[in-house]
Amino acid sequence: MAKLVLAAGVPHPPRLAREMQDAPGQLRGEALFKQVAGYFEAAAPDVIIELDSDHFVQFFYANVPAFCVGLAEESEGPAEIWCPMPQYTVKGDVKMGKGLLGYGLKSNFDLAAAEELRLDHSMMVPLHFLNPNMEIPVIPLYVNGFAAPTPTARRTFSLGRMLRKFIDQWDENKRVAILASGCFAMDVGGPLRGWTDDNWVGTVTDLLENGKYESLARRATAQRMADAGNNSTELLNWIGLTGAVGETRPLFVENDGGSGYAVWDLEGGRK
Amino acid sequence: MSVYLLNKILYMTDNDADFRKRIKEDPEGTIKSFPLRGDEIEAMILGDVGTLYQMGVHTFFLNHMARYEMFGVNRDNYLERIRSHMEYDPRFELGAMPLQYVPKES
Repeated sequence: MAKLVLAAGVPHPPRLAREMQDAPGQLRGEALFKQVAGYFEAAAPDVIIELDSDHFVQFFYANVPAFCVGLAEESEGPAEIWCPMPQYTVKGDVKMGKGLLGYGLKSNFDLAAAEELRLDHSMMVPLHFLNPNMEIPVIPLYVNGFAAPTPTARRTFSLGRMLRKFIDQWDENKRVAILASGCFAMDVGGPLRGWTDDNWVGTVTDLLENGKYESLARRATAQRMADAGNNSTELLNWIGLTGAVGETRPLFVENDGGSGYAVWDLEGGRK
Repeated sequence: MSVYLLNKILYMTDNDADFRKRIKEDPEGTIKSFPLRGDEIEAMILGDVGTLYQMGVHTFFLNHMARYEMFGVNRDNYLERIRSHMEYDPRFELGAMPLQYVPKES
């Protein structure tokens, strides 16, 4: 049987890989990604399910699913030319991805599916740090975070619960990691660029640290997330993750401005 | 429909290298080839990010105008422009647009 062994939430700063070259060892993001990477290495997952919000690279207003499973054998990214990092080919896990699609539909989650993917920086920056040489297959699980109206936090939390049930009943002997990509509070290209909603960052961090996941899902209304900056609905990916970890609390939650980094050890971690 | 097209033009600029070349070579002609309203064409051609923001163009797409330096919009004037129809907010004093790494294309 498959087993969820690790979950982690990280941001996806598009210029971090480049900025690290210019200031090696000086950026907090570099240190935190290395910290999270150590847990990935130790847990040695066979597959990563990545919860992420596409930034209008895979999807556009012509066709925006609330939730979508990626079913490509291979995909490339990042597609954005302004994201200065290596180009990668990422393997999928089509068998397990189709399993998730079918299980989701039977569980009344009307998931979309995509067999051809253009991976954006939000998918690729975490993988650059946590999936060396892209050896581990990745199942993208997209959550619409930017084309309003977005799915509710409570529904996304339920999606995470369904995801955990799916993993627990999946009939392959696989070690599974869930990776959530996104910030807590940030404005990117909006009028409040540069401001961080520290109040909301503190609230999210505190609720995560204390395992109050349902409370977070109730409080993360569309309005509250929007008030924290135009990029802040990415928190939905973290909320999906918390639906999957049950009672387990994170080993740590670290902040870097409006971003968070956290790891959940599902094999003997904090309850 | 028109805001959809404004978003689409900027979406294609970022995602389609051929379209990006076309709009760089003939910015006004490319904008006018879409069935947009006169005020929308004007806002685009003037690089009037503040008006486009009020019209409802997505901030991620407006950001591309600074990133690709379209219609006179750049990293230095972007925030001032997007705030041009907004009341002053003390949070405006914080931060600046980040340095971008957009490769030169032929």
